[in-house]
Order: sequence, then C-alpha cells, then structure tokens
Amino acid sequence: MSLSEQLKKDFSTLTLALMAVAIVLNIVVGQVVSTLKLPVFLDSIGTMLAALLAGPWVGGLTGLLTNLIWGLISDPVAAAFAPVAMVIGIVAGLCAKYGLFKTWWLAALSGVIVAVALSIVAIPVRVYMFGGITGSGADFITAYLLATGRDLFGSVIITVISSNLLDKIVTALLAWGVVKGLPRRFSARFSRAEKVISVN
Amino acid sequence: MGVSGDHKDTARRASSDAQLTRSLYIPGSSWLHRLHPLTKLSYAASTALIVFTAPGGGWSAAVLLAASLLLGMLNGLGRPIWSAFLRLAALGGMLLAVHSLFNPANVTPLVTWGVLTVYREGFSYALLVLTRLAAALSASLLLVFSVHPADLMLALAQAGLPPGAIYLFGSPLLLLPQMQARAEAVLAAQRARGLETEGNLLQRMLALFPTIAPLIYSALMEVEDRAIALEMRAFRSTHRKTSLRRLDDARWQKVFRWAMWIAALGVMLIGIWWRLNG
Repeated sequence: MSLSEQLKKDFSTLTLALMAVAIVLNIVVGQVVSTLKLPVFLDSIGTMLAALLAGPWVGGLTGLLTNLIWGLISDPVAAAFAPVAMVIGIVAGLCAKYGLFKTWWLAALSGVIVAVALSIVAIPVRVYMFGGITGSGADFITAYLLATGRDLFGSVIITVISSNLLDKIVTALLAWGVVKGLPRRFSARFSRAEKVISVN
Repeated sequence: MGVSGDHKDTARRASSDAQLTRSLYIPGSSWLHRLHPLTKLSYAASTALIVFTAPGGGWSAAVLLAASLLLGMLNGLGRPIWSAFLRLAALGGMLLAVHSLFNPANVTPLVTWGVLTVYREGFSYALLVLTRLAAALSASLLLVFSVHPADLMLALAQAGLPPGAIYLFGSPLLLLPQMQARAEAVLAAQRARGLETEGNLLQRMLALFPTIAPLIYSALMEVEDRAIALEMRAFRSTHRKTSLRRLDDARWQKVFRWAMWIAALGVMLIGIWWRLNG
C-alpha cells in the first residue's frame, strides 16, 4: 500500500471523530487526575489510545492538536510543547505496530520507550526556549542538580526523564487495558487494534 | 468570563458562546478585534520566530514585547494581559533564582547574602529568556484574547485548510464543556457509592481507574455515532460551504501579513548565519 493510500485509510471520518474525542480526553482526564492529586499527569491518555487504535500518524496529530488547542483555550505555553506531544503519539503508534503492546509488561516497556523518545524533543525545547525552567514542581530537581555542579543540559535530561517515566508507564498500561477491554464490535472497526488485542 | 454588557448583541453572543465553548476570547469591538484573524495569527507566529532566532541578544524581543503590550493597552486588553503575566511570575521567579545562583557559566558576583551569591552571567541569561518568553506570550495573547475560535476556524478554512483539519480544531472546543460536566458526574456518582477520592496516596491511586474508565469508555462508544452524524451532514462533500459568520479583510492587511512572514524568515536566516559564523 502506498503512503497516500495508507493516509487516506488512516484518516477516515471515523478516525477524525476518534481524534476529536481523544483530544478532549487528554484535557479532561488530565484535569480529573489533578483533582485526585496523583503523582502522574495522564494528559496523553487520549493520544496513546488514538495511536493504539489508529496508528502513529493519527496518534501524532492528536498529540500535536491537543497542545495547540490547549494553547488557544487556556495556556499559550502548552503550544511550545506541541512537538513533544506529537512524538508521544508517533512512538506509541510505532510500538503498537511492532507488537509492543501485546501484554501488560510489553506495554510498560513501551511506556519507557515513549518517555525516552519524548525527552529527545522535550529537552532542547526546555533548555533553549525556557532556560530549563517551566514553572512546575520539577524545576526543583533541575535547581538541585545545577547546584550540585551539573551543566544545564545534563540537569534537564535527568529532570525530564525522571518526571515523565512513571507517567508514561502508567499511561501506556491504562491505554493497553482500555483497548483490551473494548467490546469487539467497537475495536473491529479499527484494524490496527488487532495488534494489541490478538495474542499471537 | 467577564462580559461587559455595553452592547446587547455582543453580550448575548458572548453568554451563549460561554455555554458552548470555553476559551480565552474576550468580546469587544476594538480596532484589534476587528482585524482579520490571519493578520493576528501571522503576528503571533512571526513574533515567536523572530524572538527565538534573532541574532544579537534580546533587543528584538524587548522591542516586540513593548509593541505587543502597547497594542494590548490601546485596545482594552491591558488588564487581561497583565493577569496572564502574573501567572508567568512563578516561572520568572524560579528562572531568575536558579540561573543567578547556580548557572554553570557564573563567574562575576553581583550581590552576596550569606551563602548565596547572585551572579551576573546567570542573571542576564535568565532576563534574556524571560524577555523572549514574555514577547512570544504577549503576541499570542493578543491573538487568543481578540479572536473568537469560530472566526479563526473560518479564516483558516477560507485560506484553504481541509475540512477535516477544521473539524479537528473546532469540535474539541465544543465537546470540552460536555465532557467536563460528565467527568464531574462520574466523580460524584463514584463518591456516592463510597469511593475514597481524598484519602492517602494508595487510596487515591485505587480511585483512578473507577473515575476515568467510565469517562473513557463512554467517550469512545460515542465515536461511531459522531462519525455517522458527520457523514449524514455531507462532511466529506467537496462543495464550498456558506458560513453565517463574515470576516472583514483589507488589502493593507494582506500585504502586512506577507511582510511579517518575509521579515521573520529573513531574521531567522540571518540568525542562523550569525550563529554559524559568530
């Protein structure tokens, strides 16, 4: 199948509706989790679900648009991290494509892969645009590492990975569990979900 | 959302919009509000590009910051821009403190209190980053405060963005309040059944799945209905659609938009050349 045919198949009306819902899920689940005061964000659950159900392109675009819309409605700073959200969707979709979401422990491994991959984009944005500081609690880790004599880049690498690792593992496990638990009537509409559900 | 009821029609439109969508838009009829959305979008984008790529420190950022603040104040947006800046204050304070004290490039001491020494290199670096951020933020605030999201969508559609992309931008804005209300309902229902949502960390962790699973599943179950509803309204039709909204554009704005993009790309190229040879 050529790339344009694949894209046409990936972006059906059904997929567009899925993406719109996934974008809203990112924002709303993120808000619910912050009311529960948990040490995770879960603001990329929709992105990962879209990636598992409809592939890396759909996942990546869902992430990108989530942060752009976020920037438009509540916090322009979020728009600067749109490329990071895009990487989360693309990498989660690729992991699913190559069978890395088949079992719960493979899903957790995918969470680790996503956390490492997003850091490659998040670190330059954080260092170059924000001087390593983004106004969140994680800044204290950066400050501590700088105070112990590390350079800015090294400090930010440790901060970004440590603050994202747990979140992305929990998100990947939840996304895996949700897709596994979907009724067959629904998941059969998304051919890519087969890679997550089927045992072999 | 603060609605100034000086104009009845504006007030009514604003209150119905506030129920339908949640956005940062502030209703008004100033010169800035009447500009074409793409003019303001181009201004925000080219400001961000210039601020982060221009050669020679933070002068361009300081000039653009002053220009955006002046534009905001002249068009009645001074107060909301200021309150958005206050939210940036935490970031700014942290940035100044961390770099003045701990930046590895620090050599020249400015002030010393006990064990803490404020250094010149870190302080000026933090100031540069903060000026850039404030300039990019104020330009994007001019856009989000003065353009209704529906007008931005319409402008992008008229500029040739495909309907699928417009749907992906517009639909979440309408869906968000509905889904937030549902999230609150789920949380209340699970609490009524005795779910502990305010206990210790373990209890709150255990509350996570029962609160978000109903939300996620019900949202996913609706996807198919939404797709069918779209197809029934000829979503994939390539015919030109008529909009209820009208956007005013002017020749000078078109020229100005091109000029801003050319200037921004020029500055970016000079900035790259300067960094490679400087």
